[in-house]
Amino acid sequence: MYHRAVILVLSVLAVMPVLAGEPAANIQVANPYVRAVPPGQPNSAAFMELTNPGEADRALIAASSAAAETVELHTHTMVDGMMQMRRVERIDLPAGETVTLAPGGLHVMLIGLTVPLAPGDRIALTLTFDEGSEEQVSAPVRAIAAVPMPHQHH
Amino acid sequence: MRKAPAVVAVVALAVLLAWLLYGWHPGVEQAAGHRPLVLAERPTGGDFRLHGADGPVALSRFRGKVVLLYFGYTWCPDICPTNLAIIALALRALEPAEREQVQVMFVSVDPQRDTPERLRDYAAYFHPDILGVTGSDAELAQAAALYGAAYRRSEQSDSAMGYIVDHSAYTYVVDPRGRLVATLEHATPSETLVATIRAHLPGKD
Repeated sequence: MYHRAVILVLSVLAVMPVLAGEPAANIQVANPYVRAVPPGQPNSAAFMELTNPGEADRALIAASSAAAETVELHTHTMVDGMMQMRRVERIDLPAGETVTLAPGGLHVMLIGLTVPLAPGDRIALTLTFDEGSEEQVSAPVRAIAAVPMPHQHH
Repeated sequence: MRKAPAVVAVVALAVLLAWLLYGWHPGVEQAAGHRPLVLAERPTGGDFRLHGADGPVALSRFRGKVVLLYFGYTWCPDICPTNLAIIALALRALEPAEREQVQVMFVSVDPQRDTPERLRDYAAYFHPDILGVTGSDAELAQAAALYGAAYRRSEQSDSAMGYIVDHSAYTYVVDPRGRLVATLEHATPSETLVATIRAHLPGKD
């Protein structure tokens, strides 16, 4: 009797995630990169494409990295002819859609860099989503706007 | 006595702000009869004096060259580096003889954080020929007003950024005679910058 009770309880526990509803589908992160910055520049930005393959709307609510003292989510909007950059509390990720973080728009902002960012380096970012899950992203550092190597010096 | 320049600066800034809020509509459809025509208030361009790491710099020092002006600040993580990188790309696309007739000035509207020395190092990262300058609030307001550049410091209580400086992200092109000849949008491709520069090099107009 005791063994059956244990098996029963374990079986119920095993199916609990299914009973609780659709398991949270992982957000897919594609093409992440971090901007290389001039020496002494305290801030930079990370860009990427976030795809929500699930059927429930999700959101990116936070990010962190050892490469910066503070990591925040920001966006740009044009207001009164000026580019305004403002912190946002969340980046909505609608079900089945891809949201692109790109220059001039949404980005993960690295404030107070703790390491220099040289092209070729890789930066570890932790993304936190609305239902509490986290994803680790390894983002390469890229120079701003591919600049062709000059062949002549001047 | 010392208050007069500050009062003038505040009034000038207030006038500028009023003009920006009510009279400046770049690329925006005008509601008929509600706003003054943009054409009547086009920026005039003109000379100004700011400060680089090597001392005071007047724009008129570069008469005889094509000058590209860009207003921004170094704490800006995205807009300014993007534009400066594109400008640097344009400079590299020019022939050496052409490049010698071009001057790029990066004007920081954040003198609290951007000293001339810091600007020198920042600008040099993009291209050694870019000159970084800044000035007092009054000097910056005067220069910005001549070119229709808008900027506004905004305290961010919810961000580690502290304060952000909202700013228009245009590149202003000044011809060898000191006239404002073009105002180019944020992230205008380098090919367009090169073509615009070449159209105004000395000997062309």
